[in-house]
Amino acid sequence: MTQAGTILLQNQKSGLHNKVMTNDNNHQQLAAWLADVANNRDKAAFTGLFRFFAPKIQRIAHQQFSNESQASEVVQETMSNVWRKAHLYSPEKGAPTTWVYTIMRNVSFDMLRKMKSRKEDNFSEDIWPLVEADNVETEVYPDHLQQNQILAYLDKLPENQKQVVKGFYFLEMSQEQLARHLNLPLGTVKSRLRLALGKLKQQLTEQDMGERDD
Amino acid sequence: MIKHHPETKLLQSFSAGELPVSLSAAISIHVEMCPVCQQRCEEFTEQKAEQYFESAHVDDLAEPIQIDSNLLAMIDNITDDPTQAHVVEPTLNSVAVKGDEYQLPRALRSMSVGRFAGIGKVSRARIDLDEGEIHTSLLQIQPGGMIPEHTHKGFELTLLLDGEFSDDMGTYYPGDFIWLDGRHQHNPKTEQGCLCLTVVSDALHFTQGFGKLLNPFGSLLY
Repeated sequence: MTQAGTILLQNQKSGLHNKVMTNDNNHQQLAAWLADVANNRDKAAFTGLFRFFAPKIQRIAHQQFSNESQASEVVQETMSNVWRKAHLYSPEKGAPTTWVYTIMRNVSFDMLRKMKSRKEDNFSEDIWPLVEADNVETEVYPDHLQQNQILAYLDKLPENQKQVVKGFYFLEMSQEQLARHLNLPLGTVKSRLRLALGKLKQQLTEQDMGERDD
Repeated sequence: MIKHHPETKLLQSFSAGELPVSLSAAISIHVEMCPVCQQRCEEFTEQKAEQYFESAHVDDLAEPIQIDSNLLAMIDNITDDPTQAHVVEPTLNSVAVKGDEYQLPRALRSMSVGRFAGIGKVSRARIDLDEGEIHTSLLQIQPGGMIPEHTHKGFELTLLLDGEFSDDMGTYYPGDFIWLDGRHQHNPKTEQGCLCLTVVSDALHFTQGFGKLLNPFGSLLY
């Protein structure tokens, strides 16, 4: 048993005796696990999340689909989204439970749609975007080393470009939100972002070539 | 200024993911444009999440955390994948009709929109969602165009995406969510032209004039 799992088990056992809901503590713990999954790909943290959510999702999905294997599919899909999208969660936007709920709702929505129609389409992320005004696609993210390099290069950017990149990628604000927030025209935000990304890309390529020269 | 909103029950069902794709997309577009409904949906979503994941009721039901071996195997399976989902800006689709080009909202971006066909100033393009009797379309009306007075057996949802139109109940602006059923009769017309998303559950029933005689018009709009 992982340490995280043990802590959760203890929480839940005492929860049975003590009916006072410890939602705030739960939220803090769940958010901390999400951060660990996001930053460190921490399996123990994921196990903690899984133990909290999976049985509940299983039960809800079972009511909805009245079918064990479909219920398991909802659990599998939802939890693997949690694993792959944890970095998109931000505590300022709401409780971790709400975030996981929206993922589960989207998974169920697309699955029900597939059962009812001949179509193999997923509309849920267009209808309820996890990141406002943005969408999430299944692309391979650069590995951690590269991510750290990006962070280092980011600091070398001019302040006005840094602001935009940080807002867009780290605070997950939409370009529209950034424009409002920074009191800039949308076009300016877009061009700063483009410029900054161009520079980052260039620096990463130079770095690669430098390593090869060594 | 948006004046017409989905009723509470629709917002709740939307937040719970219980509505058909057509209506969900329409409400999503409205919500994106309407901070009031956006706020309400966020609250409904939170309530639902609490009900599922945090209520005392849920804890009562929980056996002292039984996770079967199938579920445990799932953890390894999931964490084997080292990739993270990457955020990209969505590409939006646009449609052109009679020389006007419109960018479609995000909620419609992956949907397949058919070709525009029309009668007079009214053009319609079907959005193929395969939802049985619920038909979803984009409807464009050229400046000065109108739709003959009609009523509905089922419901007719019109979400105004661009331009304006008015009927005897008033003038509508982009984002307005207009839900009509058999209790209503109306005769919408537009001065400057408009583009709408329509979701209709049954054929329109024309109540007077040439619309009554002109059957193709009915099938154009349903």
